[in-house]
This record gives sequence, C-alpha cells and structure tokens, in this order.
Amino acid sequence: MATAFIVQLSGLLLAIGAVASLATARRRRLAGGIATAFVAGFSALAWLLVVRTFTVGPEPEVTLTALPWLGAGLTLAVDRLSAFFLAVVATVAFLATLYSIDYMTHYRRDGVAKFYPVLLVFFGATAAVLVVRDFFFFLVAWELMTLTGFFLVVFERESRISQRAGLKYFIITHAATLCMLAAVLVLWSRSGSFHFAALRNALGDLLAGQPLLGHVVLLLFFLAFATKAGVLPMGDWLPDAHPVAPSGMSATLSGALVKIGIYGLVRVFVSFLPVEQGAATWGAVLALAGTGSLFVGSLTALRQHDSKRLLAFSTIEQIGYVVLGLGVGVAVLPSNPTLAALAFVGALFHVANHACFKSCLFLGAGAVLYRTGERDLDRLGGIGASMRVTAGSSTVAALAIAGVPPLNGFASKWLIVCSCILAGLRFPLYLVLGLVALFVSLVTLAIYLQVLGSLFLGTPRASAKVREVPNTMAAPQVVLAALCVVLGVVPFAVLAPLRDAVAAITPVAVPDAAALFSGLAGLAVSVNGEPVAFWAPLALVGGIVILGVLARLLARAGGAEVRSVPVWYCGEEHDSEEVRVPASTLFLPFKRAFEGIYPRLKLVPPPFPGWLRRVFEVDNWLYLPAVRLIDRGAKGVSRTHVGIPQVYLLWIVVGAVAVVGIILTLVR
Amino acid sequence: MLDGPVFGVLLDPLAAVMLLVATVIGFFTVLYSTHYLRERNREHATGHAGQARYYFWLLLFLASMVGVAVSPNFLQLLIFWELTTLCSWALISFYQDERSLRAGFKALLMTQGGGAFFLVAVLILFASAGSFEFTALARLPDSLRLVVFVMLMIAAWAKAAQVPFHTWLPDAMAAPTPISAYLHAAAMVKAGVYLMARSVSSGWAVPPTGAIALGVMALLTMFIALSYYFVQDDLKRLLAYSTIAHLGYVLLGLAVGGLGSIIAFRGGVLHIACHGFAKATLFFCAGALAYVTGTRSIAGLGGAARSMPLTATAYFVGVLAVTGVPPFACFWSKFMILSGAMQLGGAIGPVVLVLVLVESLISFAWMLYVGQKMFLGSVTPAAAVHSDPPAAMSGVLVVLIIFCLLAPAIAMPLVLGIGR
Repeated sequence: MATAFIVQLSGLLLAIGAVASLATARRRRLAGGIATAFVAGFSALAWLLVVRTFTVGPEPEVTLTALPWLGAGLTLAVDRLSAFFLAVVATVAFLATLYSIDYMTHYRRDGVAKFYPVLLVFFGATAAVLVVRDFFFFLVAWELMTLTGFFLVVFERESRISQRAGLKYFIITHAATLCMLAAVLVLWSRSGSFHFAALRNALGDLLAGQPLLGHVVLLLFFLAFATKAGVLPMGDWLPDAHPVAPSGMSATLSGALVKIGIYGLVRVFVSFLPVEQGAATWGAVLALAGTGSLFVGSLTALRQHDSKRLLAFSTIEQIGYVVLGLGVGVAVLPSNPTLAALAFVGALFHVANHACFKSCLFLGAGAVLYRTGERDLDRLGGIGASMRVTAGSSTVAALAIAGVPPLNGFASKWLIVCSCILAGLRFPLYLVLGLVALFVSLVTLAIYLQVLGSLFLGTPRASAKVREVPNTMAAPQVVLAALCVVLGVVPFAVLAPLRDAVAAITPVAVPDAAALFSGLAGLAVSVNGEPVAFWAPLALVGGIVILGVLARLLARAGGAEVRSVPVWYCGEEHDSEEVRVPASTLFLPFKRAFEGIYPRLKLVPPPFPGWLRRVFEVDNWLYLPAVRLIDRGAKGVSRTHVGIPQVYLLWIVVGAVAVVGIILTLVR
Repeated sequence: MLDGPVFGVLLDPLAAVMLLVATVIGFFTVLYSTHYLRERNREHATGHAGQARYYFWLLLFLASMVGVAVSPNFLQLLIFWELTTLCSWALISFYQDERSLRAGFKALLMTQGGGAFFLVAVLILFASAGSFEFTALARLPDSLRLVVFVMLMIAAWAKAAQVPFHTWLPDAMAAPTPISAYLHAAAMVKAGVYLMARSVSSGWAVPPTGAIALGVMALLTMFIALSYYFVQDDLKRLLAYSTIAHLGYVLLGLAVGGLGSIIAFRGGVLHIACHGFAKATLFFCAGALAYVTGTRSIAGLGGAARSMPLTATAYFVGVLAVTGVPPFACFWSKFMILSGAMQLGGAIGPVVLVLVLVESLISFAWMLYVGQKMFLGSVTPAAAVHSDPPAAMSGVLVVLIIFCLLAPAIAMPLVLGIGR
C-alpha cells in the first residue's frame, strides 16, 4: 500500500508543481524556485521508495484502475530494478531543475511557461514508466514522456535547428513507440492481458510455438527501446536533439531519458526472454549493436567542435558500453549465470555512472554557454581560470567518462570489459568486442582532453572575461562530480544493491554479492572460484595520496620556487590567438582516417506517380463526365419544348391514346 | 402492418455517444460563431445581414443531428438524414460566392445521390420484412441482406465522404470555419458512420462479405486521403483530408466489429467521439488563425505561436489527439480498433495493424511538421499579429483542449454499454 501511496503522492506533487509554475511563469526565477521545490519533494519521495525497496524489499503490486474488458490495469509495483532506475531519474531530475533556476533566465525571447510545467510532467511520466507493471499504461506513460520531451527540445521557438531536431526526434521515437505497440498487441492477442507477467508467458509460448513471429516481436521491442536509448543507427535523433534543448534538459535527456530505453531493454531481454530460446542470438545482436554504437559514436564525437553536440555523440558511445554489457550478459545467462550477473551489474553500474558524469558535463557546457553564449570549442579557451568550480567538476567528470582510475567510469568499464573477455573464452566474438571497447576508451580520453584543453586551458581570450556561474548552477555540478569520485572509490557500496536488482529479474538464480565481489578491499572477479582479475581503488587512492604528500614534502624540502612566466615560443613573439590550437585541428590524421564513418543520409521522398494521382482525382473521370452526361440528356429533353401549342396538344393526344391502350391491354 | 411506432426516441449507448458529440460540439460551435461572424474577422467580415440565415440553418442542423441520433428506426433516420444534407447545403454556400455555391451544390448532389440508395434500401427492407425497425435487417434472407447492407454502405460512403465519394468534403471547406468544424467533427459526415454503426449493431447480422468490403474500402480511403496531405496549402483542406481518413478509421472499427470483435466496434464508436473533439479543436484553431491573420495558407504562416500561444497549444494538442499519441483522445479508440483486429486471428489482424500504424506515423509526422511550420520558427509577416482571438473563441479552445484529454474517459462508459 505504501508504494502506491508514495507514487500517487509524488505524482500529485508534480501536478501541483506544474500548475504552480505555470501560474507564476511571468517571473522566471520564482517559477524556477517553485518547480525546484516540488521536484525536490518528488525526488525525496522517490528516494524513500528506493531505500524502502532495497532494505525492506519490494511490496506486492497494487492495481489502481482495471479495464477488465481490455485486459489492462493501472498496476503499480517497484521492484529493485525499477528502484535503481528511479534513483537515477530522481537524482538527475532534482539537480537539473535546481540548475535551471538561474540558467533559464538567459533566454530573452522564450518564456518559462513552456519549460517548467512541461519538465515536471516529463519527470512524472518518466517515473511512471518505471513503476507500471502493465504494458498498456506503460505505453501511455512512455509516449507522454516522449511528447513532453519534444516540447522541451523545441523550446527555442525561433531557432530553425531546434525545430528540425525536435521534429526528427519526435518522428523517430514515435515510430519506435508504434513498433512497441505492434509487439505488445501481438503478444496480447495471445494472452488477453497486458500485464508484464502475462506478456512474458505469451512471449515464451510464442517463441516455442512460432519462433519466427516470436523473433519478430523481439526485433520490434529491440527497435523500440534501442531507439530511445540512442543505439545507432536508430539513435540518429540523439545528436541533434540533445544539444538544442536547454542545458538542464540536455542533462536530463542524456542522464535520464536514454536510460529509460536501457530499462526497457533490460526488462524485455533479461526478464522476458526465456533462457533456452534466443538468448544467444539476441545477446549477440545486443552486443554487436552496442559495440557498433560505441565505435561510431566515439569517433564521430572526436570530430565535433560544438561542445553539446560532442557530448551527445559521446552519450551514444557510452550507451554502447551499456548495451554491450547487457548483450554479453544475455548471451551467457544460460551457460554461466555468474558471469552474466557480472556483465549485468557492470552495465547497470555504467548507467548510474553515465548519469553522473554526462549530466555533469552537460551542466558544465551549459555553464560555459550561460556565461559566454558560445558552444563552439574552436572559439572558446582559457576560461578555466575564471570559472574554477565549473572547470574543476567538468575535469573530474571528463576523466571519469574517459575511464581514468580511480573514478567511477573506470570501475564500470572494467567490469564490462572483464565480462567480455571472460565470455570470449567460450565465444570468441565477445573477446573481439571487448578489445574494441577497450581501445575505444582511448578515443574517449582523446575526446575529453580535446574538450578540457580547448574550453578551460590556454590563455584567456580578451572577450572571455567571465565570472563563475551562480551557486544554484555550480552546486549540481559539484554534487555530480563528487558522486563520480565516490562511486569510483567505493564501488562496492552500489554494486551490492545492483546485484540485488539483477537477481530480482533474471530467470535463473545468480550468486550473491559476496561471491561476486570481495568487499571493500576491491573488486575481484573469479571464474570457478579462482580469482582472475582484481581492482582495488582504495589502495590506488592511498598510493596517490601518499605520492602527492611526498611530492609536496620534496618540493618544500628542496625549496623550489614557483614562478609565473610568459609562454616561450622559441624566442619569437606571438599573439596568444595565433598560437592557439583549436579543437578541430587536434588529432587531424586520425579524424581524416575515419571521415566517412557517420554518413549523412539525405532522404528524398519518392515522387508520387502521376497516373495514380489521376486515378485518385475521381472528380475528373467519374463525376464531371456523369454530370455532363446528365446535362446533355436534359438538354435533349428540353429540345422537345418547342413553344408551339399545337405540338403540345399533339403530345397530349398521343399520351392519352397510349394510356388508354395500356389500360385496355391490362384490363383484358 | 407496422410492428412499431414510426416516430419515436431511442436512447441507447450508441445514440448517447452520437448525442454527446452532436450537442456538446454543437454548443461550442454556436458559441464560437458568435465571435467568428463579426466585422473584425479578417478573412470574411460578416455583418448583421447574414446572421439570421446563418443561425437558422445552424440550429436546424443541430436539431436534425439530434433527430438522427435518437431515431428508433430507419425511416426516421432517413428523414433527419436528408434534413442534415439540406442544412449542410445551405451552410456550405453561406458566403454565396461562386466557389461556395458550387461546393454546396456538389455536396448536395453527391450526398443526395447516396441518399437515394438509402431510400431504396429502406423500401426493400419494408417490402420484404414489413418493418422499418433496425432489427428488421437481421430478419432478411442472406442474399437480400447483403444487397440492403451494400446500399446502406453506399449511402454512408457518400455521406461520410469515403472513397470514391470523397471529393465533396474538401470543396465544402468554402463554408465558414465553425460550420466546417461542426460538419466534420459532429454532424453530416458522422451521420454516415452512425448509419453504419446502427446497421452493424442492430442484430449483429452483417454479412461477412459486406463487412470485409467495408473494411477494405476504409483502409483504401485512409491511404488515398493520406496521399493528398502533402500537396495541400490550405490548412482547412488538409484537415478535411484528415477527416476523410479518420472516418475510414471509424468504418474500419465497425467493419472489424461486424466480423465479430466487439472491442473493435466499441473502438470505432469511441473514435466518433474522440475524433469529434480533436478535429473540432483543430478546426477552431484554423478558424482562429484565419480570424486573426486573414489567411489559411500553410506556406504563408510561420512563428504564429509568438503572438497566439493559446491557439498554438490547442493546435498541438489537437494534432497529438487526432493522430493518436497517448495519452490523448484518439489513441484509446485506435488502440481498441487495433486490438479488436488482432483478436480476430488470422491474417486480418497483422495486416490491419501494419497498415494502420504506417498511416498513423505518416499522418502524425506531416501534421506535426505543418504545426511547426505555422506556429514555430521565425515570424512571417502574415503571422505578425497581436494576440489570440477574442474571449469566446479562446474559451472554446481551452475547453476543447481539456476535452482532447478527457473525451475517452467521458465516452468510454457509454461505449462499454454497447454489447451483443
């Protein structure tokens, strides 16, 4: 009962918040403050639910409204998987709204009446997707989430780029939703109910009875969720839509929305898919799609010089890692549940980590945009000196996303790559994919060195006299950056709950957390009881601290002097502008080698055949001729009206004779 | 000789749905008209002169739709049916210029031609079963029932502007916009699908051949109407083709219902209500745009949301509702039609599913594109106006936005009352 109550209460909070922020929309900061307060309430309730679910355990599901004639019902339940994603969404939602209070004041021509209310409904719909247990209402919540997302993407009304990106986003994702609708209806026609459990059984029966149709259904589900998650090529909407939204929303899109696609993939491919049928095939499909995404996404991100567009491509890449992990897990689930659990935990951990560092990076890019009005990396530089908090948190997040130990990105990537390689011992495919993922990590590092260098380092530009952003914008970045460090240093704190989340949905039992990882000392991955890989973040942090202290002591003991001198350009004098290395000129040979990796397709609508158009113009070949024929007939009749009384009399006589004749024949 | 009264009132769930649509949207049409027919209308300034004629025909139109909805038998239905034809003729030609006179006459001719089939069908029914009752249809022998059903179907196609009788509806856009709204959302064309709903649901004895013909033609209509979307510049004509397609949805639902799926039949009837409110919203938006800017040209408008935020909101809600994006109105009815089709088993379900989803996606994409084109982006000279339309019109838009969300909830209990 408590679950249903909390869910309804948080929905009510968001609804009131939406109305209140709409009513106060003329005062931007006030509306933002109100929205933040209500989102804070929502997030707190969501976290309460999360904590309850992980400590007390999930409550039985509750049906609020039932539509028995359709086999649907608004059934709510929060299991540990839902709770995990709910935690991610709630955290990002609160920080992004807090950030938006000040951020939204810089839009001169667009009012916040079309931002905060829509944002709150968006959060509500996202949370609803996670807690419903009935695919009919899942669809409703899912599309409500998509369409509110659309209005947030097209927020800048007069920008053509926003409009195009929004249209593309909505059309592609709506097509994905229709795929899901088709898949669900096929299953429903066999089960008669939209409940998750019923559809799960229907899928099992279908795969056993009509494997072809069953795989079509799975393909439709894959298309639906992978599109939302941003897996290439379906995720082509993402690099257009994420950058144009207001930065708080960009952070939410990358931090929360794409994760819902992952949630869907996990639900269907881990919990619905029977282990005997199709696990190997679909595991391979997921892993290949993920690897393709991370390869193409990272190399394309490297070529970008618009900061937010670069981050969007990087989201595609990071989601690729998650999907790769999922794929490996699905593939080995029947044969090796331990390894599968490891892969799933790695993938989910990466979801949480990506929410932290990518949101932080988007907020950082937004902060730079807020102060400089610029997203082009080539025209920025040297603002690290004046925006220390932004620069600091972005640096931490960038190092984390590039997988630099001991930050959180390293831990999750390490788990994913580990499970790839271990799975590769039996299926060589995954070994190859794991190695690709490993090397793409290097590209990620290149991407973010490029970003950090061109944004924050170098001599400040004359035009770039900027101040640090207000506290409400700085605080979310600091919190997210701190999370990146904490999750990296004590990964075990989240890995145990994540293992529980995985155990809640896998159809086969998985070993408990203590057997999977070896506690606070670090992560140990073992095969058949023999440890094969080990990662001890705390030891590393200790080492770093000791070395830092040593270096400091040495410097002090040696009495080294710190001097500030101009940069030495081999004795020549240069304007600092001339010797700057813009982002787009870095790694040029490498970029050229992969020039065509992200082809731009130009869709040309097929010409409408002229003859078909003529057939459709029914007026021209049917009605007008018919009307003309009637017209001509009428003219013919009117010709008998000659206007001479004698002729009319003659007609009357003829008529009378005819009538009398007919009557006589009939009477006789 | 007759087994029941010739005139009377029948108020069953099906009639209630039709009444709901006809009276509620009728009320809003009249309310909207009070401000639309003004001197300040930049598209068609209307003085006091035409008002008496306008309201006379509009109210008669409303009354005859109520008559259609509550008819207990085919004879009364036929009489009120012809009365709606007459009213729509008068209202389509309201402006009395060359274009509207032609359009009015075309509408009259085509629907009257269809009406002739209705008349013959009723006569055959009476001659053979000795009754005008709806249930008499089920008492006819099989072959004759098919003949009567086909004739009724032709009448309904003509009235509901289905292929191949669809051409009068886009031309009827010469009417004043509130009339177009009423004509499309609640009256006239809905009378056509209402006749089909009556014929199918009374006795549930539709010959399968007839039902399949109805369904196939409905799918054909949807796609032919869709093919016209992309070449329209007049917003009202675009909406007209969308109406044609959506009446196809209703008939598709009824056809699947005739084949044995009650969910699809209910979905089809629900679609009458859902589409009614959604399409009324869109037409009132088109009217508001024309009233304020003086143009209905899609190409000429741009960035109108800047000065007309309410109209823009209403348009987008209307588009989402009409194309069936959850949680808005038509999603529920479309979903019921689709699930009904899937229930039938065999190849029908998947074929209908794929075709309907393709149509939905393309029409959704195009309507959204048109909406962005007109309301978002940079402001064009035509759209550089001061504000949303006056209070009565804005108020109607606000109420209809709410109805776009609530229509399924209101109509669902009624629709669920329809059963075998």
